[in-house]
Amino acid sequence: MRKVLALYVPAATVVGYIFLFAPLIVLVVYAFNAGRSTVVWEGFSLAWFTEALRDRSLRAGLQVSVIVAIASAALATVIGASAALAVVKRPFAGKSLFSTLVIAPLVLPEIVLAVGLLVATVWTGIPLGYGTLIAGHVLVSIPFSFLIVRAAASGLDPRLDEAAADLGANGSQAFLRVTLPLLAPAILSAFLLCAVISFDNFVISTFVSGVGSTPLPIQIYAMLKTGLTPKINALGAMLIAVNVIVILVVMGRYLKTIRKQS
Amino acid sequence: MPPDTMIETAGASRAAIELIDIRKAFGSAGGETTYAVDRMSLAIRAGEFFTFLGPSGCGKTTTLRMIAGFEEPTSGRLLLDGKEVTGVPAHQRNVNTVFQSYALFPHLNVGENVGFGLSVKGVAKDEIRQRVKAALESVHMAHAIDRKPSALSGGQQQRVALARALINRPSVLLLDEPFGALDLKLRREMQMEVKEMQRKLGITFIFVTHDQEEALTMSDRIAVMNNGVVQQVGGPADIYERPANRFTAGFIGDMNLIDARVVAHDSDRLTVDAAGGRFDLPSTLPLQPGDPCTLAIRPEALHFVEGEAGGRVRFSGAVSEAVYIGTDTVYSLTLADGARLNARVRNGDGQPMPRTGAPGTLACAPSAIRLLTQ
Repeated sequence: MRKVLALYVPAATVVGYIFLFAPLIVLVVYAFNAGRSTVVWEGFSLAWFTEALRDRSLRAGLQVSVIVAIASAALATVIGASAALAVVKRPFAGKSLFSTLVIAPLVLPEIVLAVGLLVATVWTGIPLGYGTLIAGHVLVSIPFSFLIVRAAASGLDPRLDEAAADLGANGSQAFLRVTLPLLAPAILSAFLLCAVISFDNFVISTFVSGVGSTPLPIQIYAMLKTGLTPKINALGAMLIAVNVIVILVVMGRYLKTIRKQS
Repeated sequence: MPPDTMIETAGASRAAIELIDIRKAFGSAGGETTYAVDRMSLAIRAGEFFTFLGPSGCGKTTTLRMIAGFEEPTSGRLLLDGKEVTGVPAHQRNVNTVFQSYALFPHLNVGENVGFGLSVKGVAKDEIRQRVKAALESVHMAHAIDRKPSALSGGQQQRVALARALINRPSVLLLDEPFGALDLKLRREMQMEVKEMQRKLGITFIFVTHDQEEALTMSDRIAVMNNGVVQQVGGPADIYERPANRFTAGFIGDMNLIDARVVAHDSDRLTVDAAGGRFDLPSTLPLQPGDPCTLAIRPEALHFVEGEAGGRVRFSGAVSEAVYIGTDTVYSLTLADGARLNARVRNGDGQPMPRTGAPGTLACAPSAIRLLTQ
């Protein structure tokens, strides 16, 4: 029995990793395929990368996605962090109800939110475009920035606020000199996570993107109709590379500050 | 501060802080409001080392937090240097606090921590640098100016916290159990240093502690608190030698507390029944025959006698315990009514030293017994 267990743990780990990473590996490998197939290997080539970079609609989609990701992440982080600070630092009536409502988009079916958003834009006469896209992404990102910043803020010693006030700092000085620097890592994490959520978003984007504001995921989905080529793989490989670089940079800086503090 | 709150109170020039009928409600149980601090009226003199002493939950920290401005009293007035500060926010009060947990800013180094107060007030950078250096030198921490608080030991953090508060030249420094987290040796060292610093600077220090020894050694005056109420205010010797009530008597040092009942009352003497005996004691307490009262006797005031002990008060019983503690032996005598009396007897100075189980008689001068109401 013990022998079985001793084998089971490493085996399960390996299978788990294969399950997690095999699709990514296949995707990246076939980005270098010389042929048009995404399943049959026909030799090494970088042609699909140039092809992907040259594709006008993909480039347009990428641009929309990046703009929307940065804008919606910035907004969602400011709103979520403000709500989190209010919940942690200030006493007010209905606090737990407020928290629950802020997190609600996390548990509501996204498709329902998307339909609701579309109905609302039609009803108010707001044209579909960047505005509606950013608004929709902010809506689904806020719970994440709220939760991340709330966790960090509730870990702060409330005595630090008192110490700042005791030393003569008014509310905004205490916030800018003590609270904000201490929460900066959490706020940065929240921003990055919100940006990724926005970049990945499909459901909301499908409903509220307008003509000329089609984000990358929708653009790629549209390309399926004309057949899947390794161009998509090349694009995917580049996105993975960018993600990994961003994470390495952020983590590297984070580790450095931690080492400096200790 | 709006001008109408800056009312000068006549004759208050010597008081650094005045608490006038301060109350702080902290909740209500069964329709009755409970008070963390109840009807406190105190004047703390300028330049004084004043201590709030009491068990945890007695309201001493709440009092300190009200003086600092972190909490507002439910009712009553608070004067700082003769000016009303009730309702003035913490950052506008000329007091600084040394927190129990130090509360140093973890993202700033030692120098930036100490300079924080000057920096938010917009003092010039050069002046800040000089004063930070001087402040750190005064607490022997100049070498750590570039370090982060997390790289310092508890005692070092304590010193930085002191420098961070004192650099602002407050009229009052508040210290909230500042030595609670230090080991005994370091604690003693810091107590001496802080006391010395207070003497040199002449700033009013308000100290909060639950450690009666710390309070006795450091303070000019002590306010003993229990359940939100000040029990007694006085110098260390007053508090120790002349406790005003049963709580203070029991809280400060070791004390035998014996229930007694008044039998007869004279102008300056009381006759009481206690522990199966009758005692005639000097007292001017306004007690009537039949009133309950308490006899308070320090263990070190008692010693064993054999036979007659002219003019002394005697307690007879059986020795139930003898604990040797080096210079002294602590005896426990069980009296006729079952009450226990502890005596701290010096070893080897020729006094009779009874064994456990043997009958014994303890005696003391009538003046060593303090009569307390209740």
